[in-house]
Amino acid sequence: MKKYQLGEFEEIVMLTVGILYDEAYGVAIKTEIESRLGRSVSVGALQSALRRLEKKGYLNSREGEANAHRGGKPKRYFRITAYGKKAIEYNRNVRDGLWRAIPEMALDLKFA
Amino acid sequence: MIKSLADRLFRWYCHDDFYADISGDLHELHHARLQSGSRMLADCRYLFEVLRLFRPSLLKPFNSKIRFNDTGMFKNYIKISFRNLIKHKGYTFINVAGLAIGLTAFLLINLYITFEKNYDSFFTSYQQLHRLTTDQVVDGVLGVRDAMSFHPAGRVLLDETPETIGYTVTNKISGIIFRKGQSVILEEGIVAADSNYFKLFDYKMLSGDPETALQEPNSLVLTESKARSYFGNENPVGKTIQVLSGFRRPFKVTGVIEDVPGNTHYKFDILMSLKSIQEQLDRDGWNGFNYYTYLKLVPGVDLEQYEEKIVPLARKYLGKESSLVFNVQPVRDIHLHSDFTFEPEIHGSAKAVGFLTIISVFILLIAWVNYINLSTARAIDRAKEVGLRKVIGAQKRQLFSQFLFESLLVNLLSAILALFLAQVVLPFFNQLVGVSIIDQVWKDPGFISNLLLFFMLGTIVSGFYPALVLSRFTPVTVLKGKFRNSKNGVVLRKGLVVLQYATSLLLISGTFIVYQQIQYMKGKNLGISTDYVIGFPTPDVPEDQREAQQEKFEAFRNEVMRASSVETVATTSDLPGGGSSDVSSTSGGVKIVGRTDRLDATTYVQWIDDYNLDALDMEVLAGRNFDHQIQTDTFAVIVNEAFLRRLGISDYESVLNSKVQFGRDPENDKIPIIGVLRNFHRTSLKNQVEPTVYFFSENRGSVLVELSPQDYRAGVEHVEKTWAKFYPQAPLDYIFLDDRFAKLYEEEKRFGDVFGTFSILAILIAVLGLFGLSSFIAAQRTKEVGVRKVLGASVANIITIFFKDFFILIAIAAVVGLPLIYMGMDTWLDNYAYRIVFPWPFMVAALGIVAFFTLATVGYQVYKVAVVNPSQTLRYE
Repeated sequence: MKKYQLGEFEEIVMLTVGILYDEAYGVAIKTEIESRLGRSVSVGALQSALRRLEKKGYLNSREGEANAHRGGKPKRYFRITAYGKKAIEYNRNVRDGLWRAIPEMALDLKFA
Repeated sequence: MIKSLADRLFRWYCHDDFYADISGDLHELHHARLQSGSRMLADCRYLFEVLRLFRPSLLKPFNSKIRFNDTGMFKNYIKISFRNLIKHKGYTFINVAGLAIGLTAFLLINLYITFEKNYDSFFTSYQQLHRLTTDQVVDGVLGVRDAMSFHPAGRVLLDETPETIGYTVTNKISGIIFRKGQSVILEEGIVAADSNYFKLFDYKMLSGDPETALQEPNSLVLTESKARSYFGNENPVGKTIQVLSGFRRPFKVTGVIEDVPGNTHYKFDILMSLKSIQEQLDRDGWNGFNYYTYLKLVPGVDLEQYEEKIVPLARKYLGKESSLVFNVQPVRDIHLHSDFTFEPEIHGSAKAVGFLTIISVFILLIAWVNYINLSTARAIDRAKEVGLRKVIGAQKRQLFSQFLFESLLVNLLSAILALFLAQVVLPFFNQLVGVSIIDQVWKDPGFISNLLLFFMLGTIVSGFYPALVLSRFTPVTVLKGKFRNSKNGVVLRKGLVVLQYATSLLLISGTFIVYQQIQYMKGKNLGISTDYVIGFPTPDVPEDQREAQQEKFEAFRNEVMRASSVETVATTSDLPGGGSSDVSSTSGGVKIVGRTDRLDATTYVQWIDDYNLDALDMEVLAGRNFDHQIQTDTFAVIVNEAFLRRLGISDYESVLNSKVQFGRDPENDKIPIIGVLRNFHRTSLKNQVEPTVYFFSENRGSVLVELSPQDYRAGVEHVEKTWAKFYPQAPLDYIFLDDRFAKLYEEEKRFGDVFGTFSILAILIAVLGLFGLSSFIAAQRTKEVGVRKVLGASVANIITIFFKDFFILIAIAAVVGLPLIYMGMDTWLDNYAYRIVFPWPFMVAALGIVAFFTLATVGYQVYKVAVVNPSQTLRYE
């Protein structure tokens, strides 16, 4: 874990950015997470995570188009970088490894 | 509303890189919420989101602008500044000279103001020192306020009020003859003081014991310089000095103190122990208040409560009938704020100090305005430099500091110049204000710290606005070449010029008015003729030899009269032209028997002989003069008009042979009135003619000699010779009465001179500024002038066009300034009982002077441009 520092919310954000692929900008990511996870996400939390990830190099971004609903302000689209991909893969592998390491019986254990 | 506020908040804290898209997201969300809910709710949600965006990772960096280490540029600023100063020598001279003169004048005046305001503050406990004075209150109305008090009062206050912790009684004795070696000297500054004196006024005792020095009768304490003049370098303590007039006995020197500094209201050269005048003390008691009493009160005493407390004491000791009450005043306020009768010296005037403060501020203001005006007017010269610097990457902040630095440089140059200038003009300044405050400006810490302070302040005040204007230029407009000074700047500059005009007007007309008033007072008909009349004190006569001396004096008088150059010799108790304290007075009340009720007010008393009327051309309105051949005239009075008018009598004939009675006791003498004199001015025209009663006396105090105008020099010589023959042991100390009257107005004259000098300086600085400004404006409009000339304008036409602008400014200045001048100067004139009416014609003259200087400076500059052939000015178009 030490190699790729990635928090739980950060991982969710990265995965959502992956899901949305070309459409991953602030509002879209927010609604996606909210609908998939059923929890509300504040713009502040999301944006600070996005910028943090970008700073770490897991995401990159480009400026997109603006429209009237946005008060003439441009969108910012995020995309997972190769390094970011490694990070989530690493995370996933670590998890899988952990999963695998759990003895069968620990999960099958039934309490009477 | 909430949304836009929230947006501004967000913009304020959010990192610039993130702001655009995040706020876009917020807008989008807001828009979506508007579809589903109320605006209010959506707005609140928006605000809520914004608040939750306040996270470290999204904040602006704290030192938001990247700061380069730009100290390397300082060298460049210095270089450019110097080049600029050298390139425009004329402007540099105007700026530096103006600021230096302004600063010098301001600092010197301040030096004087500080001096005036700190009178008597060098005594250790000056905050606690108070003077006991005497007021006359009749029917609850405050009458004459006298600086003197009864001599037992100090003791009484010490015993009966806990607030009083010390007192000293003093008596000012003027003109006593001392023997010095073989010659005699008239000593003017002698104060008799009791042994407590040094406990209150802690002068440094150089030799002798301050506790005991004034204890014994016939003791003297000399100031250092007096000690030196009498005894050279020997220690005078223990030696004796023969005191002639009045005492005729040897006095022992018991101490030497440092010289009395200039800034005390109670100056003296020699202190005498109070017990030396015990006879006078015994005689005066609670009858005569001829003493300056000083009290030391506990710190922080409430003066009003204290004064209430001492009212019953006055009743207890002076009797219920008396209209006199005690009053106390802080010693530190005496010089500027006390205007009582019988002050020990001509005091300063808080008003004059106030006026001077205003003048000094004006001068400095005018100098600063010059700098601001010239720098902003010349901004166009520097505009391209600013544009280019900005293009290369200079920030506004850097340019601002560059121009502020330039102003620092100019101010520094002028501060250094001011220091030298101040030193050079200091002797003249000392002469102007009549006191020697300091000899070397750089030895005065107050002066130096003020210089530094106002140098810094000047840098900021004068440099701030030009720096702001210059650093604000946008490169695009400036470098395009279509740049003009902004309208705003012009309005401000014109406003400042108006300010300069108004202050110049004020100073010029103020000077006019002060001189007019002095001229008026000097020239006003005094009611007596003082031309070619000299006065001097009569030879001093001991009590027991009076009759013998009287004969001798008669012989002297006859001898003097024998010369054809002498017209009359008269004796009087008080020479005309004395100060308010040079006359006797009675406050016991006076009435004309059977005619009026007693009037509790001060009446002045003089003793004259029958030659006075002739010598001074006094006019008798009713009745007759004294006559030394009529025996009963020794018990008769002549009164003046003012005396009768105060009693409400206008028919002067009717009072002849009525009797006046002084005091309360009905048994008091009733003295017949034999004549009424026309009012004449005995003292400064600042005061009303004093209600006076004249008694007959021969050989009293002073001698008046009227000389014939044709050969008055011979007359003076004759008087001197005769005096030396009759009274070889005493010096003759004569003065022309004209000079004596002129001396009364010294303070006014000084005020006028100071006012005048600094007005001239202020105008000089203003003219300098105007010169620079107009030359610049003329240079700016060279092409306009060329075009006008091509189209047929004459030189006169062009000059008129330029003048018009300035005359409008003068007109505004007049409208603004004249009411202020009227208010200020009219109250000043109200100080005088006899004053001129406000001289409006002089206001026109002042305006004329301002207009003239404007014409001269602007005209010169414009003329230079106007005569140039248009082919030269327009050839590059």
